[in-house]
Amino acid sequence: MAKIDNLNEIEQEVLEVIKTVPDPEVGVNIVDLGLIYEVAYDEENKRIDVKMTLSARGCPVGDTILQHVQTVVSNVFPGFYVDVELVWEPQWTPANITDEGREELDGGAF
Amino acid sequence: MQAGLSTKNAPSPKVVLPYYAYGAVAFIAAAIMMFFAGNDITLTYMSPKVLSIAHVLILGWITMIIFGALYQLIPVVMEVKLYSEKLAMASFITLGLGTPMMAYSFWVNFIGASHAMMTGGGLVILSVIMFVINVFGSAAKTEIKTIENRFIATSVVWLLLTVILGLSIVLFPQILANGSFQIHIHLGIIGWFMMLVVGVASTLMPMFFIAHQLNKKCLERAYWMINGGLVVLLTTMFLDLGNYAKLGAGVAIFLGFMMFFKYNLSAYKKRLRRSLDIGMKLSVLAFSLFALTMLTGLLSAFGSIIDAKYLTTINLIYGISLIYGFLTALILGQMYKTLPFIVWLKLYQDKVGKFKTPLPADMHSEEAAQAHYFFFIAGFSLLIAGVIFKEAILIQASAAFMLLTALLYGYNTLKILNHKQKLKPLVMPKLKPRVRPMAKKN
Repeated sequence: MAKIDNLNEIEQEVLEVIKTVPDPEVGVNIVDLGLIYEVAYDEENKRIDVKMTLSARGCPVGDTILQHVQTVVSNVFPGFYVDVELVWEPQWTPANITDEGREELDGGAF
Repeated sequence: MQAGLSTKNAPSPKVVLPYYAYGAVAFIAAAIMMFFAGNDITLTYMSPKVLSIAHVLILGWITMIIFGALYQLIPVVMEVKLYSEKLAMASFITLGLGTPMMAYSFWVNFIGASHAMMTGGGLVILSVIMFVINVFGSAAKTEIKTIENRFIATSVVWLLLTVILGLSIVLFPQILANGSFQIHIHLGIIGWFMMLVVGVASTLMPMFFIAHQLNKKCLERAYWMINGGLVVLLTTMFLDLGNYAKLGAGVAIFLGFMMFFKYNLSAYKKRLRRSLDIGMKLSVLAFSLFALTMLTGLLSAFGSIIDAKYLTTINLIYGISLIYGFLTALILGQMYKTLPFIVWLKLYQDKVGKFKTPLPADMHSEEAAQAHYFFFIAGFSLLIAGVIFKEAILIQASAAFMLLTALLYGYNTLKILNHKQKLKPLVMPKLKPRVRPMAKKN
């Protein structure tokens, strides 16, 4: 599976789709929060795999975020099997946040 | 099921939501009662009206919302399903019926074993026992052994002792001579509320601030200092030991809370979200008021060397700054951080990705929330001024601001509970039609 700084063009498109998913608590998209670790696009087997984490264990909206990712990717890539896997290793740290994400957090979404 | 996810463990919203609704009503009722109690508040905490308001606030407002929030939070912090939803609903009914009965008895000065007091007190104890079973039943299943969870479990033990002693005082008033009233108050305030707040706040505040890499050693120290200090304090009260032991216990408890304060301050400083939403603004205000509680609490421990006429005022400010200050502001704030999520999950869990859903933060009126933030500060300041200057008119002015706070807060609670929005389908970006290349393999 490709790490997100090493995606091909179509995987980059998958990532752009995932960017429409906000973390409902902070209002910032989960890609800029650095929650997405890996994306794999498999044309032959009609399969997309996403590996992601959450900023805190026991996050009350955790599986809704996972489901949100699964739904939006399935919508844009009909006919594909989309698997979203939650991992806790490596542990998420604030260093994962992109500059855009940091700016949104600093400015305050609300 | 994926490890660490708590939505699947969350209880049905119908278990939790009534607690929030009841709490909002009790908060309004307390402000109205304060308006009519006026002068009584400036005198002593033992007056019937003060006791009545204290129990509406402590049981109907604070405990009610804490119970409801904990039924939602236990799956979050312990990563297990709640032990029993039926018990959780039954504890709501019993606490909801018992509280007004007790408040009525106190208000009309039935401190003795009247029917209303006995039935009300019995129902409250029943509710607490059901709550305790639920917490321990859930805790037994968890594999998450954190210091925060230990605080929560310990607070529940102290809570049980608090209500049992409370009813014993009503049944056997002669035990008042053994310092049982002071023990009841301190068990409730330090053992139950504060221990619980330390556990829950230390879990939630870093999560909401998005603060990582915090040193939990100070929480560990806080646990032993507060519990050790409390045991010594209660023993000195029961055996009427010398003031030095009481003072030592007071200092240990004070230092324990300082550790907790330090932990949350470092979360605040390390936060990634620089600007605070209304929920966090109120929570930060709560911690500022807690500084006043700690100061007056420490002075209270020096009681023996302070003039009695000042000591009553100090004790009153200690109690008020904790119940109507710290705990109330914290609940006002944390409502905005918890209730919208519970309702949001109920309404939109299956809609995300298909429809354009609002964010939980969009479900309340921001104007009402900002207004009650300032009304609350005004109400609290006037109350403290009223106690210091012993002026009933200041208390009544405070009650008016608190009522405005409670009404606006109640309005927002209702608005969130009744949230409805017509959803528009989500329009996703269309991909350019083309032959997609095979993904590069790593």
